[in-house]
Amino acid sequence: MLKGWKLKEIVLMSLFGVVFGIVYLLFLHIGNLWAGVIGPLAYEWMFGIWFIVSIISMYIIRKPGAALLPETLAAAIEVMLGNAIGPRLILSGIIQGLGAEAAFALTRYRHFQLAILMLAGAGAGIFSFIYGYFLSGYAALEPSFVALMFTLRVLSGAIIAGIGGKYIADSLLATGSLRGYAIAKAEKSDARA
Amino acid sequence: MRRLLHEMNPSMKFLAVTACILILAFFFNPWTPLLFFTGVVLLQLLLSQTNWKLWSLAMLPFLIGAFGYFWTTLVFGQSGDSPVLWTIGTIDITVQQWELAWSLSLRVLAFSSISLLFAFTTDPVHFIQSLMQQWKLSPKLAFSVLISYQFLPVLQKEFVQLQQAHRIRGTGSRSSTFKRLTESRRLLIPLLAGAVRKAERAAFAMEARAFTGEARTHYREITLAPKDFVLFALFSLVLTISCSAIFWT
Repeated sequence: MLKGWKLKEIVLMSLFGVVFGIVYLLFLHIGNLWAGVIGPLAYEWMFGIWFIVSIISMYIIRKPGAALLPETLAAAIEVMLGNAIGPRLILSGIIQGLGAEAAFALTRYRHFQLAILMLAGAGAGIFSFIYGYFLSGYAALEPSFVALMFTLRVLSGAIIAGIGGKYIADSLLATGSLRGYAIAKAEKSDARA
Repeated sequence: MRRLLHEMNPSMKFLAVTACILILAFFFNPWTPLLFFTGVVLLQLLLSQTNWKLWSLAMLPFLIGAFGYFWTTLVFGQSGDSPVLWTIGTIDITVQQWELAWSLSLRVLAFSSISLLFAFTTDPVHFIQSLMQQWKLSPKLAFSVLISYQFLPVLQKEFVQLQQAHRIRGTGSRSSTFKRLTESRRLLIPLLAGAVRKAERAAFAMEARAFTGEARTHYREITLAPKDFVLFALFSLVLTISCSAIFWT
């Protein structure tokens, strides 16, 4: 999977994984306290936060695997820092990453407009929901409640991860530190056209 | 004896923990997760040196989460055709909902206990090295991850620095924790921009030292010994006993 990646892209991707691993962990704890009050529904509207690194990393690096790997890594970092849900979080990271990756693979890693990024966020939401349905026993809940959870999660993925991810990556591009990555090159060719 | 879990091969431990969690997900009775939780805590008590004060502190958020699961399942769980246990206001709580609520919330505790076992007995660096040596994780990726992991304290320091820099210029306040949390949003972009530059420098340094994906030998060899398989069997035993709960309830 890493063939054709430059070392600096791999390191950047890892670093994103680490930074967002911490961000994820922070929100996991906030979500946890929140969930104690209003139950599993608490997570749904903020679920997009946990998909964001896939979108940022793919939008910047634009190579196959750039969505799956950092998401997996971020989950691994959450586990390594020791106070998360534990190793099963890595599995959910892989599944969320695959969801986002699927959307980019569908467009053959050629298009990175806002709509595609939002689709990737929604994809991560759908994949993670299927996994959660199985693991957390949503089958035991009322179907209408499950449908509400599903809608909230997909919307959150599209809006927080899709739009938010693009916003963060664009702001980073504006700082000029992304020179030499695919996103800056694409920007340049756009300007020329 | 008291170091056994710490010395277990990290990849093997990871495999055992993940397998347990995946299998537990199939069980919807309250006894299986309860037995599993007890078994895991017992294992950790006997075979590891755990700081139990820290463990309790880490367990606390999960306890709160489990409570959330408990009452939502009680209210929103499928009622089925089972008899009504009691009525609060306009909500009828059936026997099925009552059992499901216990099962789902105990499941949260079972999952978190085994996860904490992994976190408390595993050195992250050893885990990555083991993934590289036993599971053939690409060294290019593994060393990148290790480098990024070493950046953690640096990034933390930088975060504080950025915060202070913003304060000097009159933005940001130190008034309340909540305000500081919402303002950390403004720090994200500069923090990331710094991280991107650091990643680039680290990549150059790695290239200069030939960390570019050629075969490498390892300074710390992480081995797979018979005791790892014994411990794996021990985890399976705990899992089997707790799963057999469906037969006698």
